[in-house]
Amino acid sequence: MGTESLAEFELLVMLAALRLGRDEAYTVSIAEDIRRRTGRSVRRANVFTTLQRLETKGLVSTRLGEARPERGGRPRRLVALKPAGLAAVRATTEAIRAMVGDLGDVVGEIS
Amino acid sequence: MSAPRCAVGLLKRLASPDLTDEVVGDLEEVHRARLRRHGRVAAWCLTWLEALDMAIALVRARRREQAGEGERGGRSRRTVGVSWLDFKLGFRMLVRYPGLTVVGGLAIAFAIWVGAGTFEFVTQLAFPKLPLPDGDRIVGVRVWDASAGRVEPRVLHDFLVWREDLSMVRDLGVFRTRSRNLIVGDGRGEPVDVAEISAAAFRLARVAPLLGRTLVDEDERPGASPVVVIGYDVWRTRLGGDSAVVGRTVRLDGVPRTVVGVMPERYGFPIAHEVWVPFPLPPDVVALDGPAIRIFGRLESGATLERAQAELGRLGRRAAEDSPETHTHLRPQVVPYAGSILNLTFSEDVPAWFSWQIMSSNLLLVMLLVLICANVALLIFARAATRESEIVVRNALGASRGRIIAQLFAEALVLGGLAATLGLVATGLGLRWAYGVVEAEFIELPFWFQPSLSPATLVYAVALTLFGAVVAGVLPALKVTRGLAARLKQTTAGGGGLHFGGLWTAVIVTQVAVTVTFPAVAFFVRQDREQIRTQELGFGVERYLTARLELDRESVRSGGDTTRAAFLEYYGATTRTLERRLEAEPNVTAVTFADRLPRMYHAWNQIEVLEGAAPPPDARGHRVGSASVDIDYFDVLATKVLAGRAFHSGDLQSGARVAIVNQPFVERVLGGANAIGRHVRYVATEASREWSPGPWHEIVGVVPDLGTNTGYGRAGIYHPAEHARSHPVYIAMHVRGDATAFGPRLRAVAASVDPSLRLHDVMTLDRVIDDELRFYGFWLRLSVVVSCVALLLSLAGIYSVMSFTVARRTREIGIRVALGADPRRVVLAIFRRPLAQVTLGIVIGAGLTAGLASLTYGRVLTARQTAAVIAYAGLMLGVCLLACLVPTRRALAVEPTEAMRIEG
Repeated sequence: MGTESLAEFELLVMLAALRLGRDEAYTVSIAEDIRRRTGRSVRRANVFTTLQRLETKGLVSTRLGEARPERGGRPRRLVALKPAGLAAVRATTEAIRAMVGDLGDVVGEIS
Repeated sequence: MSAPRCAVGLLKRLASPDLTDEVVGDLEEVHRARLRRHGRVAAWCLTWLEALDMAIALVRARRREQAGEGERGGRSRRTVGVSWLDFKLGFRMLVRYPGLTVVGGLAIAFAIWVGAGTFEFVTQLAFPKLPLPDGDRIVGVRVWDASAGRVEPRVLHDFLVWREDLSMVRDLGVFRTRSRNLIVGDGRGEPVDVAEISAAAFRLARVAPLLGRTLVDEDERPGASPVVVIGYDVWRTRLGGDSAVVGRTVRLDGVPRTVVGVMPERYGFPIAHEVWVPFPLPPDVVALDGPAIRIFGRLESGATLERAQAELGRLGRRAAEDSPETHTHLRPQVVPYAGSILNLTFSEDVPAWFSWQIMSSNLLLVMLLVLICANVALLIFARAATRESEIVVRNALGASRGRIIAQLFAEALVLGGLAATLGLVATGLGLRWAYGVVEAEFIELPFWFQPSLSPATLVYAVALTLFGAVVAGVLPALKVTRGLAARLKQTTAGGGGLHFGGLWTAVIVTQVAVTVTFPAVAFFVRQDREQIRTQELGFGVERYLTARLELDRESVRSGGDTTRAAFLEYYGATTRTLERRLEAEPNVTAVTFADRLPRMYHAWNQIEVLEGAAPPPDARGHRVGSASVDIDYFDVLATKVLAGRAFHSGDLQSGARVAIVNQPFVERVLGGANAIGRHVRYVATEASREWSPGPWHEIVGVVPDLGTNTGYGRAGIYHPAEHARSHPVYIAMHVRGDATAFGPRLRAVAASVDPSLRLHDVMTLDRVIDDELRFYGFWLRLSVVVSCVALLLSLAGIYSVMSFTVARRTREIGIRVALGADPRRVVLAIFRRPLAQVTLGIVIGAGLTAGLASLTYGRVLTARQTAAVIAYAGLMLGVCLLACLVPTRRALAVEPTEAMRIEG
């Protein structure tokens, strides 16, 4: 089986989860991170659905954290990237970088 | 505070157990963050939206899961959801059944129009939003008097303390409304509502003037030259839109003031004002003294209503400790500004439920929607019944009952969606019209009432449409799809099928009853209007110029005496002077005064006659209108005394209790007997039914009917009164030539007598009922629209039921005729049930009409009116018969062999 390719929003969710780390990445923080960085209005329901899909694909794993008072005593569902997920992120960004190629001066450099 | 309980419950219900903690926890976390950032109402709305969004995501996830299981299990599943194909079919149905489209569409559009319009209005009433920059941070400050159970308005002393010490509310200011004569140049005065207001109001409103400047703090200082800021409409209408108006002088009740600025169009802070002058702060203010005022301010940045209230509460407790004799029972409160204006003065807490109670008035309109959609459901059911074969076959081919219901729901939704669009367009126009009518005829609405549709109203209209589609689409669908499997056998065997059940019978009977009742209401309103409009008074009413004379009590301080008696004394002297000066005018031949003029609405009073009264029309006794008039009133109005005598000066002496009655009084109360010398007294008034009986009055004269309209007939009593025994009174003067043209001169003479004497409603006597006629016209138009919709729906419903009933029995008719039955008996047998339904509806409707006439209008139907109701009922029956005619003729014409082949 080849490396999974990610859709745009899936990639954003994966990158946010990667940045936030396994102890801070969950639906609310991921949506907020994407909103802050991209300026997009992000529906949490979309993040929730995307995380479910990514989990079904075997790209992320989830676990329940500790109960927290600001959540009415309920735990967060924390997200961590699996090796396959990390590989998918790499493959997708690599593909984007390859496609941008010498168009960097038109679309901007991809770091 | 937790997320809305119902939203949490919704998610708990939809999420699988392993997801519940996640989705509910996320919702709680986000809701609490929103509460801090946006406040309670916004957080509540946003969280609900998010919960609905998440609910949809959960349902989709569950479907995907089920679909996956289905595929894995190799099972095929019947889908229930609504597809685009259903909507396409819905559009096709609109074209194929144009009658239903037009009738049903117009009816639903009407329901949405009324429902959405009412929702918009009550939302603006219950949850007002000020159209000013950061308007939601503008607050009112009021003082609740716990011992008296009311708002204490004399709080100028406390205001001055708070202005220094209250840190959470800035730009604190006060205002009060005064009615003043605005006199521009030529000495002609017209009353305007003036806001005496702190300059802080303009800083708080953050609205730049159109010309010049707003009021500033310097204008409030003692000795400052008097200035005025005027509104856009006053500038245009009274000052001719003069672009060089700044610096001009106008007079308010005789006080010259320099115009320093003009505010832009629609600016009306604090309520609906158009003239603003500085608030005159008295030099010494003591607690609970001074004028009645209202206080406003703006929450300091970062402050909340709760924190401001906490600070004000501390100041209130401090005042109670410092001045226990005056402040122990006073509770200062910070409340949303609009709420502080809209008369919420009856309760210590402006309770949250109060707003929701106002909103609950929408329920009535939802009931109207249900009634209308139930009618549309009837039509859709009849249409669905004609497609019975198609539905049965679709079911046999694999479509589930849910799928078929979804299709009929989609069809109703398409109809409802188009109707809602039409209804919303009408709502936008209707609001503009209604606000215009209210402002022109009744009261000036506060400036935050805007005749435009808010997003909340649009969402509400969508919800109404969905609800209407459920009633109009799903209910008939449930009925039509019941027992599909059994019907498959019947259909293939050629047996019977759908029938209208008890529910539909109830719907038909109800709508016929409503259809009979609504036009009757319109008829009563029209009759009242015509009675007032066409009443002949027997003299040239157009030659009399009339006006209402008002004087400000606070501006009158004769010798320092501020009692009402002193005020009335001064008012009487002023009107006497006015009378003398007017009588000296060459064009004026006579002047008189009264507290009510002919043909105006007169407050009713319940009376008792010493002996020999005719039996009253009902158990509530005789009700008559009354008026206090000058002793020369009937002479000036050129009214002949029919019996006895007119008033004379001796009637004004104390102890002389005399009255003159009109001809309708003689006929209705005395049964046509001689009135002179009889005695009459009041036993209850419109204001208080618990009133103890008053003294007896001797009837000394009888005059013709001059229009004492009370809503209970025209019987009336006149009492002699000196000038201004009450305030205000009306002046009526006979003028040579064009009476209207004398209006400006009248104003000038009044201004020369006392600049603060205000003349309202200067018009000829034939026009004094214009306002009343417009009011009746408004109700008449509304009643006619409602009646037309009810009639249209009812007739369409009856027609569809009749057509359906006869069409369903075509086979039976054919067979009966083939077996030799008399066609007339066959037709009668078929008509029996629908005719019984219509007749029952008409009987109930006629009963309702008679009851309504008796209870609300206090009268019984005359023979002519009864005949009109019967004729109207006959029309309904005629339409009913017409509806049967076409399908019956078709059924009778069918050959028996063909009838046998027709589906049952």
